[in-house]
Amino acid sequence: MIRRRIRRLGAVVAVLAALVWSSACAVIPVGGPFPVGEAGGGDPMSKPFQRMVAIPPQAGWSPEQVVTGLQAAMAAYADDPEILAQYLTPEARQAWKPGGPVTVLDNLVKYDVEGKIGDKEITVALSGTQVARIENDDTYVPTSVGVDRKFTLVKDQQGDYRVKSLVGGLLLTEADVTRAYRPTNLYYLNGTPGSGGANSDMLVVDRVRLRLKPTESFAKTIIERLLKGPSKALQGAVENVFPHGTRVESVRAGDDRVIINLSGPIDSGDIFTRGLQAQLRWSLTSNNVANGRYIEVQLDGEPFYSSDTLTIPPNISDPWLGTSSNAAYYTSKGAVYAMATEGPGRPVAGPAGQANNLYSGFAVAVGGFSVGQGADLIAAKSTAGGIWVTRAAADGRWQQWIQGANADLTPPSWHRDGTLWTYDRRNGAVLRCNPGAGRGPERIAAPSLDGFDVTRLRIARDGVRVAVTIGKHEIRVGAITGSGAAVMLGNFQTLSTVDDEEIRDLAWRDGEHLVVLSQSPAGAVVKEINVGDGTVTKLPSDTRLRTLAAQGERILAGTKKKNEILESNLDKQNWTSKMATDADTPLFPLG
Amino acid sequence: MPPTSKKRLRRRTLRQILGGVRRRTRRAAGRARSVWRRSLQLQVVTSTLVISVTVVVVLGVFLSDQINRSVIESRQQSSATEALADRVQIADALSQKPDDQAKSTSDASGNAPADPLDDVMDTITGSGENGSKKRYEVLVLNTSNPGRSRASGKVTPEDVPQALQQALRRDERKYEFDKPYRFTAPITFTGESQPTPTLVIGGVVNLLDGQNYEVYHFFPISEEERMLSNVRLAIAVVGLGLVVLLAAIAYLVARQVVSPVRLAREAAERLAAGKLDERLKVRGEDDLARLATSFNEMAVNLALKIHQLEELSQVQRQFVSDVSHELRTPLTTVRMAADLLYDAREDFDPMAARSAELMQAQLERFESMLADLLEISRYDAGAATLDLDPVDVRDVVLRAIGDSEALAERHSTRFELRLPNEPCMAEIDNRRVERILRNLLFNAIEHGEGRDVVVTVGADRDAVAVAVRDHGIGLKAGEDTMVFDRFWRADPSRARTIGGTGLGLAISREDASLHGGWLQAWGQQGEGSQFRLTLPRVAGTDLKGSPLSLVPPEIEMRRTWRGQMTPVLLPASADGAGYDED
Repeated sequence: MIRRRIRRLGAVVAVLAALVWSSACAVIPVGGPFPVGEAGGGDPMSKPFQRMVAIPPQAGWSPEQVVTGLQAAMAAYADDPEILAQYLTPEARQAWKPGGPVTVLDNLVKYDVEGKIGDKEITVALSGTQVARIENDDTYVPTSVGVDRKFTLVKDQQGDYRVKSLVGGLLLTEADVTRAYRPTNLYYLNGTPGSGGANSDMLVVDRVRLRLKPTESFAKTIIERLLKGPSKALQGAVENVFPHGTRVESVRAGDDRVIINLSGPIDSGDIFTRGLQAQLRWSLTSNNVANGRYIEVQLDGEPFYSSDTLTIPPNISDPWLGTSSNAAYYTSKGAVYAMATEGPGRPVAGPAGQANNLYSGFAVAVGGFSVGQGADLIAAKSTAGGIWVTRAAADGRWQQWIQGANADLTPPSWHRDGTLWTYDRRNGAVLRCNPGAGRGPERIAAPSLDGFDVTRLRIARDGVRVAVTIGKHEIRVGAITGSGAAVMLGNFQTLSTVDDEEIRDLAWRDGEHLVVLSQSPAGAVVKEINVGDGTVTKLPSDTRLRTLAAQGERILAGTKKKNEILESNLDKQNWTSKMATDADTPLFPLG
Repeated sequence: MPPTSKKRLRRRTLRQILGGVRRRTRRAAGRARSVWRRSLQLQVVTSTLVISVTVVVVLGVFLSDQINRSVIESRQQSSATEALADRVQIADALSQKPDDQAKSTSDASGNAPADPLDDVMDTITGSGENGSKKRYEVLVLNTSNPGRSRASGKVTPEDVPQALQQALRRDERKYEFDKPYRFTAPITFTGESQPTPTLVIGGVVNLLDGQNYEVYHFFPISEEERMLSNVRLAIAVVGLGLVVLLAAIAYLVARQVVSPVRLAREAAERLAAGKLDERLKVRGEDDLARLATSFNEMAVNLALKIHQLEELSQVQRQFVSDVSHELRTPLTTVRMAADLLYDAREDFDPMAARSAELMQAQLERFESMLADLLEISRYDAGAATLDLDPVDVRDVVLRAIGDSEALAERHSTRFELRLPNEPCMAEIDNRRVERILRNLLFNAIEHGEGRDVVVTVGADRDAVAVAVRDHGIGLKAGEDTMVFDRFWRADPSRARTIGGTGLGLAISREDASLHGGWLQAWGQQGEGSQFRLTLPRVAGTDLKGSPLSLVPPEIEMRRTWRGQMTPVLLPASADGAGYDED
């Protein structure tokens, strides 16, 4: 009896011990699957960055060290303006102003001390190359100028050198800029300024360099700059949906969204909501901020509409950056062919598809897109003079729209609104006609091009930016500003000057990048230039290249032998043969 | 000086308020203490509370300390590892030779090589192309060379804790570079309003060219802090709940035990108050049920015994009363015969005459004894009643003295009277009070040994008192209560010279208590004795004190003068003795 009881007790103890052991083992319970709430996933609004920490001048520093420290203090000036003043004499402190364009020097700055160390007054000469300047509107303008600055240093009462005189404005090195500035794309609408953006259908990119602020999220910095409006290059050419005076109160991360709180004269009932969504979405996403997150826009801390919130989904399906049509064309013996994925293409319908030796400098506008006539329009220069346009349909026929000698007109370029643009070099005028609407050529004012030898004129696919080549060595980029009768070409700025190369062709890849083919003594050079800040990316080059066409990721080239079309392969950094028939010149619609 | 006087006034009132508060607090504390002392349940619950709070606090502190330590330690460990990895990376990058650097970093565009410090900072802070945000911030500080300091995020050199920086610089001066330090402090970073609890790890990267880079890592530990404060809150809540639960359990258990005990106590109290038919309910068979059974048995036995005793006492009293009555009839006859003999004694020979006188005297005594016995049996039977009249007590005293004068003359004793001038009116039974006083006076004369007897009358608002003081042999210790016993004799060998029956003081005491008054005695050997009668002015009211002191004033004075208390002098009688201290 007792033995049985002991046995039972033993069993209970064993079970209890097993329970305790098993529960102690599984500290973290296993099992699943369970649905989980979407967690934050880090700070979506900022990007990590490092910055220069300025230190005050230390006792016993050499003049060169003092100037180096001063330069470092300039790099940190926006974060900590007090240190810089400690490098200056009281008079210099009064006189020096930090404003004006920021001078960007290359990293190989040299300091030369003129005078004997220990003198009461000593001069340190800074010499280097200015590689760019950052304007007040945050545009980054590449330049290449030698810089020679002199700093006069005097000994103060403690016997340490302080800078007595220096030129106003900040002096940064390229490394400082890389550290503290981020190239940032801002997006505006392609409509006429002041129109409210109602007839806008595309975003136009504006590239600026924004300084990272340690106390502010990058998202807020971007939106603050976006609200200020476009930089000089796009002034008057694009529409900002946010009225002047709009402020961003805060940008903060919610659970699965980024909440932007705006204030100012926004009329939530009247604003072009789709444009606002597109501008905010792309301005943030293209800079890798708030990727994949909903954006909620608030007005004065309240929901944007009095009754409803305004949220922007992570993916906007609207073709705000242009349709990526795959249509590509090439010419062969004066005829235009539609390119096929494999093998030889077929000639387009109508007269443009017939071989001849009359037309050259073709440009294609895809029909049904903006032109509205169902068939593609093909424009070309004729050896007989003038610019001719035909519909790529069986009943199409060549019609002359712009008159002029063949040598005087630049190859035609289609605008996305259906107009055809060219430059009449004899008269020094930009000409525009609208074959779709039946309007004949008209002169468009372009005062900044007056007196220049414009050799090419290409209108970008966003319909705003215009690239021209001046002579053989210079590329300028401007924008179509104004509307109606006041349309003009303006805001021209030199994008690139190549003295030792000869520009052979250029093509718009998208609204932001221009692909340029030039010939240097060493061979053909293909490069992609960001029209916003002049950043040059070298693409693989090939000695065979003669012409270029680009759209999105695709870059096609025609060869000197006019028997092949090459396609650039960015992965392998070379050009591969796309078509080995008698293909002459590749073409993409617009651009 | 009005201000000071006002101040003094205020101070006094403040002191008064404080005093009041203190008094009230003390009173409340006293009440609480008495409640606590009286309730077993409260005691059990209180001790359970105290013990469980102690245990819970000790366990909670231990537990939270343990969790704190493990969490913080693991965090410090991982942080130190990360900081060390970064410092090694920095040291590596900065100690590369410049031409190596140029080779490794010069890019296709032919730009000047970037600063290795920038490169390594890009890697560490994740600000490079594909970098991801790190959970900490880094500050690299080189104060001896310009432009060699970097920071990530919003940290500034001012955020570095002073003590940490000093420790690093001390080591730098001693050329000890492999000793990183950590420091935990709340740091308010630029642009933030709230301080963030931050773990700062500082180390020195020393290069071969003699340059020192102080590298500080800032790890925010607000997550850990939040977690630990949650844990602490949970422990506190659980501990509190546990304490409350234990107290409730103790309350219930104690109630289970205490409520039958309380019922038994109440029953015992009622039993003690005379309700002999009080019984307890018996439920179950546990200890408490057995207690109830025993209690009930005890109550039954007690009631039986008391009943028997009462009956016995009744029988005895009846017997005394009957005997007294029965004796009276023959005594009357005997008395008449004795009277005859006594009257004719002159005709008898001297021997017979003397016998007749003796018989007469003893018969008188016998008669008065019988009367006293009858009187006392009337008290025992509860048949005595009062015949109340408002009377001046001084008159009663004078009448009693008049009655005693003959005896006093025989003992050559003189009376000293101390009477107040105004009348001392009281509602009393004239006859009984006179009898009390007579008894007291006879007693004083008998034991006064011929010395003066002092009679004092005192009165106050509620009571009147008469004290009779003799200067005889006095009373021994303990005799002051025995004097009121029936047939008690101070010295059994002494003869009764006056016709005392031995019942006088007993009857007097009964008379006094019938009035609601006190009769008390004080005596000291060689100092004589004093008897004090205190009566309420209005019949039926309770006495609160006596206008006269029980101890004679001269003795009291002498005692005070000597400055010491004689234990013998302490008040004697049981009833009302406590009020005679004044």
